[in-house]
Amino acid sequence: MNLKTTYSEQELVALLQQRDQQAFSYLYDNYSGALFGIVHAIVTDREAASDVLQNVFINIWKKIESYDASKGRLFTWMLNIARNAAIDEIRSKGYRDAQKNQPLGENTEIAGSAYGPAVSDVGLKKLLGKLKEEWRVLIDLSYFQGFTHEEIAKMLSLPLGTVKTRIRSALIHLRTMIQ
Amino acid sequence: MNIQEYISSGIVESYVLGLASEEERRELERMCAGHPEVLRARIDFELAMEKQAMANAATPDPGVKDKIMNEISGGGKVVSMKASPVRRINGWKYAAAACIALLAGSIYLNISLSGKNKKLKGDFDNTVAKLNDIRKDVDMLRGRPEVKMASMKGTPESPQSYTTVYWDTASHDVYLLVNNLPKPADSLQYQLWALADGQPVDLGFISDDYFVRQDKLLIKAKNAQKAQAFAITLEKKGRPDAKTPAGKMYVLGNL
Repeated sequence: MNLKTTYSEQELVALLQQRDQQAFSYLYDNYSGALFGIVHAIVTDREAASDVLQNVFINIWKKIESYDASKGRLFTWMLNIARNAAIDEIRSKGYRDAQKNQPLGENTEIAGSAYGPAVSDVGLKKLLGKLKEEWRVLIDLSYFQGFTHEEIAKMLSLPLGTVKTRIRSALIHLRTMIQ
Repeated sequence: MNIQEYISSGIVESYVLGLASEEERRELERMCAGHPEVLRARIDFELAMEKQAMANAATPDPGVKDKIMNEISGGGKVVSMKASPVRRINGWKYAAAACIALLAGSIYLNISLSGKNKKLKGDFDNTVAKLNDIRKDVDMLRGRPEVKMASMKGTPESPQSYTTVYWDTASHDVYLLVNNLPKPADSLQYQLWALADGQPVDLGFISDDYFVRQDKLLIKAKNAQKAQAFAITLEKKGRPDAKTPAGKMYVLGNL
């Protein structure tokens, strides 16, 4: 029985690549909250977000062999798996249908129902709120909704170059905010 | 571009957040290998993101971990049927064990198939519901005699804009087809109006969601009892007197 309770990132990766379940359990205990935070910021429905999280960890387990430390930290790798899975989920037909076609009525402030109030005021989303409007929209569309720069350019009727430059500027600003 | 400019160009952040193109990724990986400062910047931003994510963790439901651990520990595999030699006369206990293994495997399969079944049923129901929605839309567009149509042309404010209203004079239902409208700024939203005897009547707002997803053909608005024309204005969100148009008119069309 391995009673060790903390691992260095390298040790953790090595153990995971040897299919060590105890290390995986540790990985879950330490990172599930942070990954769930990002998943739930994208997939507002809690139950759907839980299912996504489950798939994210199973994918981490299956793909750990392909993790390459020279390309980024373990957490970055996992965060990207989580974000991609969450975006796949909100783009799936099943999820969109579940929250579709509310008729316009008295309660027409369903604006931005892709992410409910429960999560829009926490985490990265909260940081986003501090960005100026033109940046906020771009980060939201690209990072939280997964649209490509080309799609965003079309959507906002902006030149592709402008979209790219603005996203870069927004990211630089975001960095100064979190560092 | 010197290294410092490269580092502060936003490329590092793009890369870490998964927003960089394939080409940009390869470039950054090359730069990281050749320039320790770039690598340092990447790791610093990664650590900052990690800290940020940790600080904003959300607790998943407790059952999730069990499901995951169960799945990765081979809970997902059906018990091996290559049981021990049953042919020995004294092999009843092996036979019994094999039966139990079979039973367990079968129960597991049942549970897992029933879950899959449920999901398929859900997907199917969703598809049918979606199809019905589209069928309704198409019926509306097909031009039943009681459905009147108004082509709403862009005003000088927005000459490219173009929308169409379908008004069912029997049920009073109003549907809006957005042929072309620019996406509004976040603080603004479009409002649809019926003009009845010269008076504007509020028919509701177009949600922001519509512009993001664009997965709807017709938007159902509020019913209109009476109308000679329809118009759309661009309004500030949350204005107190939402029953009176205050913003600029984007499109207008008579029946």
